[in-house]
Amino acid sequence: MPSDPLILGFDTSAAHVAAALLSGDQVLAQTHTPMRKGQAETLFPALDKLLTGAGKAYADLDAIAVGVGPGNFTGIRISVSAARGLALALDRPAIGVTGFAAVGLGATPSTICSLPAAAGRFYLGRADGSGTPVLWDGDNFDVPPQAILRHWPDDAVPEFAGATAQAQPIPVAEAICRAAAAQLASGQITPPKPYYLKPADAAPSKTPPVVILDDA
Amino acid sequence: MEQTVCVLGIESSCDDTAAAVVRMSDKGAQILSSVVEGQNELHAEFGGVVPEIAARAHAEKVDGCVRTALDDAGVTLAQIDAIAVTAGPGLIGGVLSGVMCAKGLAAGAGTPLVAVNHLAGHALTPALTDRVPFPYLLLLASGGHCQFLYVAGIDDFTRLGGTIDDAPGEAFDKTARLLGLTQPGGPAVEQAARNGAADRFALPRPLLDRPGCDMSFSGLKTALLRARDQLIADQGGISAQDRADLCAGFQAAVCDILVEKARRALSAARDMAAGQPLAFAVAGGVAANAALREGLQGVCETQDTQFIAPPLALCTDNAAMIAYAGGRLFAAGQRDGLDVSARPRWPLDRAQAPLLGSGKKGAKA
Repeated sequence: MPSDPLILGFDTSAAHVAAALLSGDQVLAQTHTPMRKGQAETLFPALDKLLTGAGKAYADLDAIAVGVGPGNFTGIRISVSAARGLALALDRPAIGVTGFAAVGLGATPSTICSLPAAAGRFYLGRADGSGTPVLWDGDNFDVPPQAILRHWPDDAVPEFAGATAQAQPIPVAEAICRAAAAQLASGQITPPKPYYLKPADAAPSKTPPVVILDDA
Repeated sequence: MEQTVCVLGIESSCDDTAAAVVRMSDKGAQILSSVVEGQNELHAEFGGVVPEIAARAHAEKVDGCVRTALDDAGVTLAQIDAIAVTAGPGLIGGVLSGVMCAKGLAAGAGTPLVAVNHLAGHALTPALTDRVPFPYLLLLASGGHCQFLYVAGIDDFTRLGGTIDDAPGEAFDKTARLLGLTQPGGPAVEQAARNGAADRFALPRPLLDRPGCDMSFSGLKTALLRARDQLIADQGGISAQDRADLCAGFQAAVCDILVEKARRALSAARDMAAGQPLAFAVAGGVAANAALREGLQGVCETQDTQFIAPPLALCTDNAAMIAYAGGRLFAAGQRDGLDVSARPRWPLDRAQAPLLGSGKKGAKA
């Protein structure tokens, strides 16, 4: 691995298409387009443009970084599937970065990270990965007083008494690239896998099975 | 000089994640590998395919299937001339995973992408397996689809008729569920029907009294449910013999509908073919049913038509058919951009009025 690896990172886990190109410590290019629909169509043209603008090609990449959520289920799968396809074609590692790791990048370890969930709800987790992240239901996450609550600048944040909201100053795709670079440097790579925190909405049938009588 | 192309196919439109490599030339096609990873156990307790569960599984399986398909075929991605992917119609979450993985592969390897209609994959399978020349008549009968297609070319389909509600495979699954049999329902119902009397229960043959080739299976499902519930009301449950008789009656009704409609579709197709030789082929999982095959074969014999039933592994969902259809389209010049959409609805025959679905989202099939 070169000392200044070239990493392409992207994320569609929320209502945006975000991408960044990181070379060593330097961001060569990045893009962030708010978008509710059409991420599957827009992602690769955006990546092409980003690479071309920086004078790079897919073959130059040392790793692919991707946001794995939690967030919009379909959005997560769009990027994770794309990253896995790219990684297979390029024979380079794909690295999964959770939304908590990205929004909490650079924060003190005990910082609580908040991410938007559907229907105005929130996902909560800790920046250092400790504890169990949750889809917050009002009392399933311990938020101590004086807690710092990290979030993306444009997102709403749940209100906790005594807690201080703090926006992540680094854009999402850059944060994903930087978190992935740290994984790459440590040699401890997490392959991308969608991170849901909520099971699929499905319930087994409530109808009791038919009684089969003995023929005898 | 003869040109050979090697195509990677990807399929993820329902509950099978599949990848395949097909090598094609003017002389025919050879399936170098075909990997299908099913999800039956994931959906078993829900009594049907749950779209979100299917989507989650596809997202984690597609790239692995591609790797296995390449390894099995003994080729590298660099030796692939085109990447063909099912872009619809189907469960959109799964289709998206396949399409995005294909885009990643195409971008990373610099390989052309071809978006394939899943139904075209089924419809062109007789050309893949048996080199059947155009035109031919195809009955696609599966868990999600049921239609008669007059296939005149790789992108020339005329729908002669189709279901106006459920697909027969779905009706087999429902029957199995109602009668306490295992999923998938097709094989379980067929097995139980062997010991049953088809004439014990009077089950309807919807739309059989109407002209044309359209079909309906919804009312048949309801009639079966009513017959079952009557037995339960009378005796507190159903016996194994009741179950066998219900299965036999249900299967006979499905066969009667499909066979009679096939007879009419074949007459219409022969008119369209205007003297050209015309084969009749089946595709879809329901085509595995032996009683149905026998009935369709009978229709073909009376109309002096060749009957073609591809191997079951190529009748049910697979990626070899997508690779083949994509390869034919590629040879004809089709290339899709990396901005191509995954489509939940995508009728093959755009000239016909929609049978299913309408409004803003358009025709389903």
